[in-house]
Amino acid sequence: MILYDFDYERPGTLQEAMSLLRNSGVDARLLAGGTDLLPNMRVQNLKPALLISLGAIAPMPPQAGEDGSIRIDALSRLADLENSDFIRREIPLLAESAHAVGGNQIRQSATLGGNLCQETRCLHLNQEHDYQFAAPCYKRGGDCCYPYPGNKPGSCWSVYMSDTAPALIALGAEVEILGEEGTRSVPAERLFSGNALTPLLIARSEMIRSLIVPAAPAGFGWGYHKSTLRGGLEFAMANMAVTLRLEDDGETCAAARIVVGAVSEGPLRASSAERKLVGKALTAELLSEAADDASDEINPLPHHGFTRNYLRENIRVYLRRTLTAALERASGGII
Amino acid sequence: MSELNFVGKSFKRKDGPDKVTGRAVYSEDVKLPGTLIGRILRSPHPHARIVGIDTSKARALPGVKGVITVEDTKGVKHGFVETPRYPADQEVLARGKVVHVGEEIAAVAAVDAITAQRALALIEVEYEILPAVFDAERAMDPSAPEIHPSHPKVKEEYANIGGKSEGGWGDVERGFAESHYVREDRFESQVRTHGYLESQVTLAHWEGDKLNVWTSSMGNFVKRAKLAKTLDLPYSAVRIHKTYVGGTFGGKIDLFSHEYCAARLSILTGRPVRIVASREEIFSAFRHAQPLIVEVKTGVKKDGTILAQQMRVINDAGAYRGSGVVVVFLAWGFTMAPYRCPNLKYEGFSVYTNYSVRAPQRGHGCPKVRFAIESQLDMIAEALGIDPIAIRLRNARQPGEELPNGDNVHNGNLPACIRMAAEKSELLKKYGQARKTPQTGHLRRGIGIGISAYFGGSLVYPNSSGVMVKMNDDGSAIVLTGAIDVGQGSETIIAQIVAEELAVGMDDVKLISSDTDATPQDIGAWVSGMTYITGNAARQAAGNAREKLIQVAAEQMKVPVEDLWVENKEVFNRRHPEQRMSYAQVFAASVATRRGDTIVGEGFWRTMRDEPTHPSLATTKGRWTENYAFSAQVAEVEVDIETGEAKLVKAYTVHDCGFPINPALVKGQVDGQVSMALGHAFLEEVLTKNGYTLNPNWLDYRMPTIHNMAASEDADVITEEYRVGQPYRTKEVGEGLVSGILAAMGNAVYDATGVRLYSTPFAPDRILDGLKKLQLKQAAEIRETTTEMQWSQP
Ligand SMILES: Cc1cc2nc3c(=O)[nH]c(=O)nc-3n(C[C@H](O)[C@H](O)[C@H](O)COP(=O)(O)OP(=O)(O)OC[C@H]3O[C@@H](n4cnc5c(N)ncnc54)[C@H](O)[C@@H]3O)c2cc1C
Ligand code: SF4
Repeated sequence: MILYDFDYERPGTLQEAMSLLRNSGVDARLLAGGTDLLPNMRVQNLKPALLISLGAIAPMPPQAGEDGSIRIDALSRLADLENSDFIRREIPLLAESAHAVGGNQIRQSATLGGNLCQETRCLHLNQEHDYQFAAPCYKRGGDCCYPYPGNKPGSCWSVYMSDTAPALIALGAEVEILGEEGTRSVPAERLFSGNALTPLLIARSEMIRSLIVPAAPAGFGWGYHKSTLRGGLEFAMANMAVTLRLEDDGETCAAARIVVGAVSEGPLRASSAERKLVGKALTAELLSEAADDASDEINPLPHHGFTRNYLRENIRVYLRRTLTAALERASGGII
Repeated sequence: MSELNFVGKSFKRKDGPDKVTGRAVYSEDVKLPGTLIGRILRSPHPHARIVGIDTSKARALPGVKGVITVEDTKGVKHGFVETPRYPADQEVLARGKVVHVGEEIAAVAAVDAITAQRALALIEVEYEILPAVFDAERAMDPSAPEIHPSHPKVKEEYANIGGKSEGGWGDVERGFAESHYVREDRFESQVRTHGYLESQVTLAHWEGDKLNVWTSSMGNFVKRAKLAKTLDLPYSAVRIHKTYVGGTFGGKIDLFSHEYCAARLSILTGRPVRIVASREEIFSAFRHAQPLIVEVKTGVKKDGTILAQQMRVINDAGAYRGSGVVVVFLAWGFTMAPYRCPNLKYEGFSVYTNYSVRAPQRGHGCPKVRFAIESQLDMIAEALGIDPIAIRLRNARQPGEELPNGDNVHNGNLPACIRMAAEKSELLKKYGQARKTPQTGHLRRGIGIGISAYFGGSLVYPNSSGVMVKMNDDGSAIVLTGAIDVGQGSETIIAQIVAEELAVGMDDVKLISSDTDATPQDIGAWVSGMTYITGNAARQAAGNAREKLIQVAAEQMKVPVEDLWVENKEVFNRRHPEQRMSYAQVFAASVATRRGDTIVGEGFWRTMRDEPTHPSLATTKGRWTENYAFSAQVAEVEVDIETGEAKLVKAYTVHDCGFPINPALVKGQVDGQVSMALGHAFLEEVLTKNGYTLNPNWLDYRMPTIHNMAASEDADVITEEYRVGQPYRTKEVGEGLVSGILAAMGNAVYDATGVRLYSTPFAPDRILDGLKKLQLKQAAEIRETTTEMQWSQP
């Protein structure tokens, strides 16, 4: 139960929603699927005075552009994405990452935009604060941090756990944002500040309109893995998305993206591991080295009871397997 | 007549249709006009003195109808155990100090939830923080902060001892001296919770002279007794109504503060009061199971025969006595029941810590005890070069064996369970494969066995169950039973037994159950005795009604009673089967000729009828139970040796539940326990820091989902019979099977990897650490042998 009073609007068009967002004069939030926002309101991590439901605005189906890129409405439900034949065929990495989120009930209401804009998480944060961790921590506007009391003031090490963000970054997706001055576009990885207090580089008066995923080039392969203890209905211990592109020779790596999520304030790219691969013939050994490098480079934050050491090991092993899967797909195996 | 028509058959559950159609009424579904919302103010500190409480601002808030603190109670304490040695120890609201985070300090009742929430925030409590202790062994140190004084009868110089159990026989020192091989190990377990889906919910309505209560419970007569006592009301003034219950697993027995507060606030305001606990409250303030430290030393002969065993159990019991002193008693029973041991010494300490109070959880200590003993037994077998089946068969109790405490195994057949489990799983063929033959890839399979014995009913308040069967004039029957169906299916099996004894159809039997005003007293769904105790009472009640029907029919038909029997709602003459009377006719005749006798059958049952009371918790003397249910379980696990991730792939359960009244329900119990045990083994842990709960929700406390469930095969070793009109022995099948399988999983992880785990859960980082240590050890061994070889070079 949400134990405070707030207002609720359900505009019929995007224009109305945007104008409410801009002009309501109160702390307003967009309500998409509500699966992240409402639990945060229940424990009063967030206390918006006005909810602007996007429920009356139907998302547009995914569309292929002239350049082969695919535009996906940010209001698309994750279940619709994972079950869409078109998405499964054209952007299987996105379908798989959408499928990794929560459980079916969650995915039936959760949207892609909401998934990207979800709050960071911390065991001390995602619970009622009536008598446990009652004094607000930095993330809640207070002046303490429970797990890291020694940190310098204002530093929060909650983790950003979206399962789709690493996939969109690995795919090189662009984010189309509606704002006061019309539409702007940023690469997905530039959506994230790296600061857990304000993890997203998007203003509260803005809204994610769509995601544009470039066409898969020849020699493209992908891999995705979400590490969990239970294997479902669970946020990630770590999630990883990998894309590779091979030269025409079918061996040499032309481009690589390795993205690891859920272990930091935002998704992380393992750039030096990526560099290690580019220009080289991809062998099992090289992939394994790259995975080692990436796991060292990432330096995961211990979170949700997982130790840094174990997260490193887990990322090392699963990145190797994920890279291997990507290479198999790139070299003409399975897509 | 020997043919069984209802008992022993897998009838569908009586509660099934209500539950799947959403018609079932749970406590939260009961709506009364004018209901107030109650909430509890809880302690934000693990240990603090309460200097003062000021409720005036909360009382003044419009919409607030009642506020109570301990000053508004009668000051009557309650406890899970209430005996002369262990008197009730807990106030319904904290008095003077709080001893765990979330302890109840005050309660409010208001017109709506927001007002109640605001009122809580307006209650001012001044605390003086006290040092706290969260580790049982630290808490035992005389220099540790004192939560409560140690029990006066405990002689050791330990602090914070809530109670101690001791037991044993023979001379362990001599036994160890005579042993060929002795080893000592220490095992630990995590804090786990029950994970009942239905929250803790109570609706109480005081109507001037009667308190009506709907509460999520697993024993309404226990609830009534404790509620009446703490409210200082006669039992007859308190009525606990029947509701459906959404799971308990041990977590809803005993009285809870919110139940008292709802009742007291209703008495004070004259309006119904409902309190619903949030999931966070359940995780951070309600009761979890006990984590035990188990130290076990065992001495054996060369052939694996156990000569001596010494056990020391330390229970982190939380901030009040709770069921802590029971679990250290039970741990004794779970130690001594399955294997013969001529010299045994047991001691168990229940230690106060600044955690929330502990409750029984399915198995009540047994999984932790069996995990320790069965793991160690495998280590012993390996050291002696004996296989895991042989060592168990060598020590398993035999049918008919008398136990040193006076109990008897009767027909219980552990050796048969072990043999059948070994056969079905082909354990001996598979065992050791992963370690002995070269392996490729990153997955390793392992197999392991664990065994267990569980008691089926003991003497605990209210000690017995009564059942009434009243005939309707159309020949159908109404059963009045206090038994509470918490999902285990008691209503279904009681109906089967009544249908069998009375020779009516399942649909002719309707139950009125678990209503403390309308039904006879019942033991409740919590000492693993319902099918035996309430079931036998139901058998007697239905038999009693049948006898009355036959009696009347004998008079009417002018046939001796011995010649009459019943089938299809009719009494008939065995010599002339065409001569018969329907129950409806018999009923009419009874009313006409026996001064209106409407034919009501009565039955009652008490286990161990000649025992005055339950065994001593402190000395373990006295009989424990008359039904031992044995089981042997085998687990096959798969371990990823690169990530340390492990899972249960297949479970085999062979159990001796006596006689299965409803085989499908038995199977449901088996599978449910396998899934709970795999949660214990691989997934679940209540994470805490300084007494605060870090993962008070279903996302971060990981119960298994359907996708984690492993293939589960089971078989009964049927050792008892059911005969109409005869007392029967069912044993137990609802709790005992979380234990052997846990131990089996530990042994299987070892079999797969060579890593022996001494703590649950078998988390990936633990397995990976173990594998790394093993590699280092192997590398060192290789270095040693190569150096040796170099030295021995000519
Ligand atoms: C039980 C459970 C399990 C979960 N498991 C996972 C998981 O495994 N992985 C995972 O990634 N997440 C998980 N989540 C979190 C959440 O469900 C998802 O992140 C989901 O995709 C959020 O989408 P939504 O549409 O429901 O967002 P909402 O809750 O509606 O919104 C979330 C935030 O985004 C903002 N927002 C929404 N849409 C837009 C937009 N178009 N532009 C700008 N801002 C916007 C909202 O204002 C709000 O601040 C889980 C949640 C629950 C309750
Ligand atoms: S890490 Fe962030 S969210 Fe967690 S307690 Fe510290 S400040 Fe709060």
